[in-house]
Amino acid sequence: MLAFIKRREPFWLFVHSPSAMIAAFLTALIILGALFAPLIAPSNPYDLSSFSLMDGLLPPVWQDGGRSAFLLGTDDQGRDMISSILYGARLSLVIGLTAMVIATVLGVGLGLAAGYFGGRFDAVIMRIADVQLALPAILTALLIDGIARGILPTEIQQNMRVTVLTLAIALSLWVNFARTARASTFVEKNKEYVEAAIIMGQHPLRIMLIQILPNIVGPLLVIMTVDLASAILLEATLSFLGIGLPADSPSLGTLIRIGMQFLLSGEWWILWIPTVFLIVLVVAINVLGDFLRDIFNPGLR
Amino acid sequence: MAYFILKRLVQSVFVMIAVAFLAFSLFRFVGDPVSQMTGVETTVEDQDRLREGLGLNDPFVVQFIRFSSDLLRGDFGFSYRTRQPVAEMITNRIPATLELGVVALLISLIVGIPAGVYTALRPRGIATQLILMTTLVGVSIPTFVIGIMLIFLFGVQLGLLPTFGRGGTVHIGSWESSLFTFDGWKSLILPAVTLGVYQLTLTMRLVRAQMMDVMRSDYIRFAMARGVPLHSLYFRHALANTMVPVITIIGLQFGGVIAFSIVTESVFQWPGMGLLFLESIRFVDIPVMGVYLVVIAFFFVLVNLIVDLLYFAIDPRLRVKEDV
Amino acid sequence: MKNQNLLKSALLSASLLVAANIVSAETFRWASKTDPQTMDPHAVSSAPVLSFLNNIYEGLVRRGRDMSIEPSLAASWEPLDGENGWRFNLREGVTFQDGADLTAEDVLFSYQRAASEESDVRSWFAPVSDVRVIDDHTIDFITKAPNPLFPDSIANFMILDKGWAERNDAALPARDAENFATMNVNGTGPFTLQSRDPGVRTVLVPNANWWDTPEHNVTEATFTPIGNSATGLAALLSGEIDFIQPIPLQDVQQVESRDGFKVLEGEETRVIMFGFPHEHEKLLYSTNESDSNPFSDPRVRLAAAHALDIDSIDRVLFRGKIGAASQLVPAGISGYSEANGNRPAYDPERAKALLAEAGYSDGFSFGLKCPNDRYINDEALCRAAASMFAAVGLNAELSTGPVRDYWPQLREDDFDMYLLGWSPGTFDMEHPIRFLLHSQDNEKKLGSWNFGNYSNARVDELLPMIQQEIDPENRQKLIDELVAITQEEVAYIPLYTQPLIWASKDNIDLTQRADNFFMLRWVTVN
Repeated sequence: MLAFIKRREPFWLFVHSPSAMIAAFLTALIILGALFAPLIAPSNPYDLSSFSLMDGLLPPVWQDGGRSAFLLGTDDQGRDMISSILYGARLSLVIGLTAMVIATVLGVGLGLAAGYFGGRFDAVIMRIADVQLALPAILTALLIDGIARGILPTEIQQNMRVTVLTLAIALSLWVNFARTARASTFVEKNKEYVEAAIIMGQHPLRIMLIQILPNIVGPLLVIMTVDLASAILLEATLSFLGIGLPADSPSLGTLIRIGMQFLLSGEWWILWIPTVFLIVLVVAINVLGDFLRDIFNPGLR
Repeated sequence: MAYFILKRLVQSVFVMIAVAFLAFSLFRFVGDPVSQMTGVETTVEDQDRLREGLGLNDPFVVQFIRFSSDLLRGDFGFSYRTRQPVAEMITNRIPATLELGVVALLISLIVGIPAGVYTALRPRGIATQLILMTTLVGVSIPTFVIGIMLIFLFGVQLGLLPTFGRGGTVHIGSWESSLFTFDGWKSLILPAVTLGVYQLTLTMRLVRAQMMDVMRSDYIRFAMARGVPLHSLYFRHALANTMVPVITIIGLQFGGVIAFSIVTESVFQWPGMGLLFLESIRFVDIPVMGVYLVVIAFFFVLVNLIVDLLYFAIDPRLRVKEDV
Repeated sequence: MKNQNLLKSALLSASLLVAANIVSAETFRWASKTDPQTMDPHAVSSAPVLSFLNNIYEGLVRRGRDMSIEPSLAASWEPLDGENGWRFNLREGVTFQDGADLTAEDVLFSYQRAASEESDVRSWFAPVSDVRVIDDHTIDFITKAPNPLFPDSIANFMILDKGWAERNDAALPARDAENFATMNVNGTGPFTLQSRDPGVRTVLVPNANWWDTPEHNVTEATFTPIGNSATGLAALLSGEIDFIQPIPLQDVQQVESRDGFKVLEGEETRVIMFGFPHEHEKLLYSTNESDSNPFSDPRVRLAAAHALDIDSIDRVLFRGKIGAASQLVPAGISGYSEANGNRPAYDPERAKALLAEAGYSDGFSFGLKCPNDRYINDEALCRAAASMFAAVGLNAELSTGPVRDYWPQLREDDFDMYLLGWSPGTFDMEHPIRFLLHSQDNEKKLGSWNFGNYSNARVDELLPMIQQEIDPENRQKLIDELVAITQEEVAYIPLYTQPLIWASKDNIDLTQRADNFFMLRWVTVN
């Protein structure tokens, strides 16, 4: 049936890679679940009147005391775990993807330019990168949070936490992209094909985007996949350190942070269900990333 | 070469100033130090007097100039929280963080590079898939969860390793080291592994990606065709060619290690700079936070300088370009 | 002869061995969340500092296991005749750890030090107008007005040796920079400092010359701060520490289910409450009531109180370990008003009716501020409360933050409703009245934590009467009247008394005091 597909074309590779198919399936499932959370989740964890403390700490349905209304149990506030996770995945994906895209565009752009032009421009960019690296993510988050608090009226600050967090994560990730893009550009720049393009008088932007960028996509994709994962994890870590999202905005990170309190208390589901969900999501993204890397890598063809 | 180093040094000074400025500007947003320094019964009047005494009512620029000129004169000030000299507090904590960071980095390199090479050379092997999967799951769990799980597994359930702190330390001059006692090493293992897992995976994946690229390049194929021995091919030619990005990443990683050590130190109550910094945030201990950031910036500048110098040593073409 | 000697020395060494065994077995290691910031008893008035230093320094009076006041450096005290104030008769033969004798001069010096501008405990001495040394072992504290509670209020006022402090340039507490007393001690108490590595490890050893008979058998005590609760619990369960305070509520069962460990539970004296913006013109965070302040209507405040289901909060969030609170101190604290021991019942229908009566039948939204690192389960509590408020139409926009940021917000009136916990420093009802119920008055230093500025002329009038009334029965009547007023006006919504949960190994005997102070002098290692 698939005979018409050319061997070694992306789709052929895809259907011949079970791990990529499973990963794609899981990622798609999670993304769809997150996307349609308002339609499929049994309740809305943002709606305070939709849950009650009376239903708190209920175990999943297969355990003693579980109720069919809450298939995976409830947390300490009586929120349904399934709903929290679906909405949590939604928020985490939005934060992670946005942060990753901002970081990639910013980092790759600056890195390419720095590597290509070199000299003073390079020095300035790389020193800015040094400054950024010297500020741990927690500080970047505090800084942006602080600036937002300084310039925004109080009423909307609470709603800005997601934006602030996304920006903070993006800012603490762009340097990886920039430095890798720059290092690879240094190497590529001196190869014959780029030198030929320069001699032919092509526009630097064109050379950077058309000639150099495709050749450094391999290492960048590795970083992108790892960084999408770490963006999601960073959000959890910032929550753990007390500067993430408020507990009533369920992201996977805040769910895990809350769940940590129940590590030993016997209510295992509050920690482990979101954690396992996060692991599945991150692993699936990474496997897909690996697969994409293989495809995009010109050496394979 | 000398010109290059000089130029970098000048740039580094600017980096330090920028970090100090950024760091300092965010302190105003962290909270009110005075309400953290005083008890509940302290009157508003007394709080205001204290605030005035600490110069917190001065304009931002005045505070910043005072902070930086004190730094330049080598006066690091006193902690709001403990009233101790900040210089002493930080220098006491540096060994713990550096030892933890270096051991974590070594773990990530010693395991990560061979694992990267292996998984690149046998991309379809079962062991490769297993390694890739395990490390993926490893980096998919938040560091603080891994840390706590390791503590409960090895510290509580098995009773093999300590759950917190540095264990036995030895003073070598003013350097307090845990590398010279068995107890110290026992205390170091769990935090170092926790800290190293993420870096390990990154190193491994990067080495693997680079290695696979290089193995497909023409000159390696050519060498293979000419019958160059395989191990020489892998390690002398192929691995050497992956080193430019790998060195970049190692440089980057040391930054990551220091930054992430905040979380690890907090989970393991490891008495390093990161833990001190977290406590300082909690108490809005501005002098300590400021000096911590400047010290961290100094480390970064130093590491970056070394990375750039290594580039020179590895790729002669860069030398020619930069010197012009 | 020779054999006899041999036997003797064998016996001697055997008994030495036994002694050595006992000694080495009584090393005691404990952990808590925060390191005491300083070793100077007058520099920071925070619970970690005062609690820790009570092991090293002593006051004129001290608190017993049940919080009662008992003689310490003062063997006795009595009110002055014909003058407002108290006379303290110092114990004879007390020496500081460096060998100096305790005299009235040291007490005077410590008073001057503790009441100085550099001190953080000077508010304790606000009622004092003069201190007079009568002789080497007698000292008078003159107060501005009759002050029956003065001895109770200075249980944490710790006495330093004048000569030692002056010799070491520590005559004043260190405010901005360290001085000798920041890292060194010289007290009269049961323990003394052997070594200190701030934030890492502090080691105490018994003071051999302590005037009192030790009830403990500790020979060396090591304190480690462990900030992360899970790590602290792991340290206890792995046997690396003998005792930890506090542990999270939800881990109690885990500790109890393991052999060799026990949990100590009690009630702290801290009452958790919600506060209102009594004086605000309008709500800051409301989307539909931004021109007025519904909370200025007592019916709305009462509705909020009726909306809260303390039993469910207790069962789910606190695992049955809290007691509901009716007023700003828990039962058992002196001045507690038995006559007003009921709190508004959980009654959402009544809450809705009250809101409708006040003209808010559709409810309204407002901003609820809570700390997330100050009280046990503070954030979870506020989330649950927000959900309960929502059920009656009070739509709380919850905003939580660390306490370093929280107090400044409250001070700047940046709230529509807020969470506060209060522990009466003097263990008397007068304390919260002074700080939380009296109108804000900077000059008289009253109402300094009354962020919403609840103000009632009769309450303001009653406070000095309560402070000066000597007859306990009359005093209680005054307090009952005051509590009734504040309950009727719903000045605050008292929620519950915070639980105290400590955990230790089975072989440790210790005393859990209601002020959450841990005293080494009551520790026995079996």
